[in-house]
Amino acid sequence: MNARETAWRVFAAELNSSTLEIKATEEKMPSYVVSPLGAKMNRVLIAGVMTEKENIGSPDEPMWKVRIQDVSGNYFVNVGRYQPEASAAMADLEAPCFVAAVGRVRTYTTDDQRVFVSVRPEHVVRIDEQTRNEWLLETAKSTWRRLKNAKTVLGMPDAKVPDLLAMGMTEAEAEGLLYALDNYGQLPDSAMYLKTIQNALRMLLPERDVDFGFPEDLSNEPDEIDIGEGGSDEHNHGQLEDIILNMLEELDTDGKGAPRDELERRAEAEGISSIELEEISNVLMDKGLVYEPNLRYLKRI
Amino acid sequence: MKRVLGDKIDEEQLVAELNKYLNDYHVNIDSAKRGIIRKYGGSDSSSFVTASSVVKKIADLSGTEQNVDVLAKVVYVESKNITVKGLNKTIVSGILGDETSTASFTLWEPGSVMLEKGSAYYFRNCYCKLWNDRVQINLGNRGRVEPAPGVTLNVPDRTISLSSQECKIGDIREGMGNVTVTGRIVSTEARKITVKGEPKTVYSGLIADDTGKIQYSAWHDFELKVGETICAKNAYIRAWKGIPQLNMGDRCEVSRVDAVFDIVDSGATKKTVAEIARIGGGLDITLEGLVVDMKSGSGLIKRCPQCNRSILNGVCTAHGQVEGVPDLRMKVVIDDGTGAIGAIINRADTEKLTGVSMKAAEGLAAAKGEGIVAREIMGRILMHRITVTGNVMSDDYGPSMIVRSADPVEVNVQEEAEKLLEEVEAAI
Repeated sequence: MNARETAWRVFAAELNSSTLEIKATEEKMPSYVVSPLGAKMNRVLIAGVMTEKENIGSPDEPMWKVRIQDVSGNYFVNVGRYQPEASAAMADLEAPCFVAAVGRVRTYTTDDQRVFVSVRPEHVVRIDEQTRNEWLLETAKSTWRRLKNAKTVLGMPDAKVPDLLAMGMTEAEAEGLLYALDNYGQLPDSAMYLKTIQNALRMLLPERDVDFGFPEDLSNEPDEIDIGEGGSDEHNHGQLEDIILNMLEELDTDGKGAPRDELERRAEAEGISSIELEEISNVLMDKGLVYEPNLRYLKRI
Repeated sequence: MKRVLGDKIDEEQLVAELNKYLNDYHVNIDSAKRGIIRKYGGSDSSSFVTASSVVKKIADLSGTEQNVDVLAKVVYVESKNITVKGLNKTIVSGILGDETSTASFTLWEPGSVMLEKGSAYYFRNCYCKLWNDRVQINLGNRGRVEPAPGVTLNVPDRTISLSSQECKIGDIREGMGNVTVTGRIVSTEARKITVKGEPKTVYSGLIADDTGKIQYSAWHDFELKVGETICAKNAYIRAWKGIPQLNMGDRCEVSRVDAVFDIVDSGATKKTVAEIARIGGGLDITLEGLVVDMKSGSGLIKRCPQCNRSILNGVCTAHGQVEGVPDLRMKVVIDDGTGAIGAIINRADTEKLTGVSMKAAEGLAAAKGEGIVAREIMGRILMHRITVTGNVMSDDYGPSMIVRSADPVEVNVQEEAEKLLEEVEAAI
């Protein structure tokens, strides 16, 4: 059967830690990238903030290199001539903005045997924050399910696919998980995946003190930008962020954004120092909620 | 050639035909002869037999034989009238048996052969096919049937395939064979149909238990009444376009039981795409997922005024050139993380989900071209979460749903996130 492949919901950290591939041995057979948690991916559904786009092709035949950032790292996305829909959409998208993309995964191995995973999307679509949050939730749930399944099956040394099906897994889940456990040669780093779930839940429930006991930094993702909820000062960061966001809204009278000096004055009046303002606006930028159209303006996305 | 064709063609015509083949079209003489014989319906079938056939017992047939001889007794035989490419045709079919097994057979060109039930024949130059994992023996225009007088074959008693397994309606899927099902009759209807030239009444409707519901057909009057709970022993499953159906046939026993259980909502059964793909199809299924793709054939389309099929370039595949009736629809792919399924969404739901009315679409098409409509609709549906209800069928490209109703889904992210948080905290 040539049924369409499922689009797996995976965080960047899980996707990028995947090094195994099940290559097609016959024509028309799909290839899969298998994550350490057993996601057997031909397609993925990803979402986050598009932070960069660059045309490395020509104006006539664009080849877009795109970075999309989620709570755990960056997705590396390539859009070329074989993705006409996505390519057309790319031309109209300006970084930064929330996007969702669905597409096939590819691996690329460097000379020193490091494996990179990239996504070639059939569609890239601009989304609103609600949709992004729904994706965060779904992906967190899906990651948790894989993590739970992996834990259970680790305690069943001789389990075969039918045993896993009997436990309620789908065929793809069962096959992917057994393949991952048999071939990765090491246990999945559950701390890393729990951390991504923690980060997602922190973003979804900002007023809750979500803490699974993991520090913020993701050491295996050096260029990852700290999401920055770690604020331990006397102010409640979430509240301050809301205040600033509201100000930006108010001060943005002509669509160009809020003038920085005006913003500073208003913040001062609310008891927010310019240093704090700087901090908060950096956090907001990292979260992809605001950006600087130019250095003197700050604008809400 | 004249001998072969006999009185089907006169000499003058034959020369004219031959002339046409050889001189007008420069066909070589062998091909010309063969073409003319075919055209005028010569019966020189032997000239088509290329390789000698092998003799096999029925149990040894694999279903891939191209040329095989079988010595077998006719267990059952009947003539059927069928329509092939608009022409009426009589074929003979039934069941053949030898000491090893039985198999169904069809004579596609019965000619004057009369088969007698209980007699043995040589069936030469047969070809075999597999259908539902059972071998079928076929005799085409090069097949021959010869009586085998004096041959007696002891055909084994019909082996009842698999004992019937008890199962829940939600677990029924294609190719299960015999099942025993307990469920409540949701609806029933008597239909008069014609089977093998005889009028017959078939009782059909829906039966449900706590896991799902399924369409049934009872080939006898079991006096089924809406609301009663029955146990159908030895019913069998047949699938139509991937939708399994429960059949209560000759060997089915129906008894009334007192079992009390809640049947699934009289509305739809909610399933994941993975569950649907495993079962193959079903009625009144609801699923929820993200629209991840939109296929061509979406947007403004034209339909044939006679058969309602969608038409391309003003031409209907059944009715030729017609004045199309405009319509709006979407063909999308919905993915819920467990699998992907195609879905066809009608005009009303397309309007509801995208906010693009038929009128607006036509206006847009008039102003900017038809292609723009599909783009506009796609921009308003991609990555949106929807819930759809309808009937699901499967083919080579996986399951697809004809959507009867569709709605956007609002996720309570906050509440769901709290739930997940609780679960994770409890587990670590």
